[in-house]
Amino acid sequence: MKDFTYVLPKDAAEAARAAAAPNCALKGAGTDLVDRMKEGVTRPDTVVNLLTATDLRSPIREENGRIVMGGATTLAEVAESALIRKVAPGFADAAAEAATPQIRNRGTVAGNLCQRPRCWYFRNDTYACSKKGGETCYSIEGENKYHAIFENVTCNIVHPSNLAPILQVLGGTLHVVTANGTDVVASDVAVKDFWVRPEEDISRENILVAGQVVREVSFPIPQGMTGSSYVETREKASFDWALTSCAAALTLDGGKIASASVVLSSVAPTPLQLEAVEKWLVGKAPSDALFREAGTKATDGATPMRDNAYKITLTAVVVRRALSAAAARATGGGK
Amino acid sequence: MGGHAEEGKGSVSRRGFLKSAGVAAAATSLIDDAKKAMEPVGPAPAAAVRGETEIRFKLNGKETVAKVPPSMTLLELLRERLDMTGTKQVCDRGACGACTVHLDGRTVNSCLLLAMDATGRDVTTVEGLAVGDRLHPVQQGFVEEDAMQCGFCTPGMVMSCAALLAKNPAPTRAECAEGISGNICRCGTYLNIFRAMDRASALAKGGK
Repeated sequence: MKDFTYVLPKDAAEAARAAAAPNCALKGAGTDLVDRMKEGVTRPDTVVNLLTATDLRSPIREENGRIVMGGATTLAEVAESALIRKVAPGFADAAAEAATPQIRNRGTVAGNLCQRPRCWYFRNDTYACSKKGGETCYSIEGENKYHAIFENVTCNIVHPSNLAPILQVLGGTLHVVTANGTDVVASDVAVKDFWVRPEEDISRENILVAGQVVREVSFPIPQGMTGSSYVETREKASFDWALTSCAAALTLDGGKIASASVVLSSVAPTPLQLEAVEKWLVGKAPSDALFREAGTKATDGATPMRDNAYKITLTAVVVRRALSAAAARATGGGK
Repeated sequence: MGGHAEEGKGSVSRRGFLKSAGVAAAATSLIDDAKKAMEPVGPAPAAAVRGETEIRFKLNGKETVAKVPPSMTLLELLRERLDMTGTKQVCDRGACGACTVHLDGRTVNSCLLLAMDATGRDVTTVEGLAVGDRLHPVQQGFVEEDAMQCGFCTPGMVMSCAALLAKNPAPTRAECAEGISGNICRCGTYLNIFRAMDRASALAKGGK
């Protein structure tokens, strides 16, 4: 690993100012960054350690009808939080399903959202792939078993974050601080507006630029008979990235679906909001048959590549399971 | 296993520390340079370090001082500078669990943890589990149930099991599987490890 200057900011404002330095990387736990640095895929001159910024460690709490937590809250803290388990069990499930106990004990919420994709061509420094500034996406002609089946045009990564789809389903917000010279300003970004598609900018996956830090993450506490869920499929029972994943929230009223939010992940470069499926669900009574049909609808427009058509079936499966789990939780008293 | 830290072995010795004081002064001027380079007008920039930097942390209960560059992982520090080779390096990418240690009582992959991030924290390695000659219940369970073959995953596996047992004195088989889901055994000794955990649970409760 190349040596670097290690910045130890005391708060997000200091971190944001330091993060404006050229060739600088932000580090939460470092479970992704240290891996990339060892592989030589990322070679920063400066690393800003966000774990010393005390305001990124603000506790999980209820505040004005929202659940708020510091960006450096660990996945284990989310998974073990009685508050999150009560109001949004889908969010707790997504954190609990991620990686391994060791990674969850370190990995942070903001880091999980901002981790780089797992594409093996991107992760291998001998491939000058288009995401790394080269001219070729090697997955188009190459090994693409784990790549995208939707929006796979110029770069076929899949979004790797477990928390991204559920946080988007819950209408989450990222509280970002931005350094502008020595001034630091705070702004809010809706999770759904956070992602950048390869066609917009192939070099990154979200809108953060140099000098910006995610200080806190929040979402509104679901109201009424609402249930949330997160479901993924994997090759291994644990310790693996998802092949397909789906987060869902359903609000029921009078035995019918009053509102639905469904987001797919692990199948496209960004989390995918299934607006057509959501509209189709509203006004209907939840049932296994309905959710099975929704799962099939969710695969409309898929463009699988040589080795990943199996993801179509697994997409239908996660959508059906996520909707069933959300409906069960909604009827179980509203969660 | 047993006690680990003879003077000047488990931690930086007094003599080694004094010898390195000159390097520390040089490092300080490097830090000043780094700060200056980043300094805009206005508020003071964040603290920054570069090159060999002194850190202090507790290693198996013992105050430890070490000098590390920011790019050094805790695993490298343990094995290569502190001569604590119980913790194993296998994949070096957080994908196998052989390097598992406890950081403030929770399991972490020491291969992905920058040593500087252990500053002020409690680190426990497999060398720190036994009390004198008395093995930790998990270690005793592993011995009695033959829960290893080649043994290379064992230190990490033992650390995951010990953390689980501390949190959950009588884990079910499913909870054990979840507890060691970040550790891979290529010899496939998982069933013996589950039995070792049952034994450890009984031993910890004072059973025979």
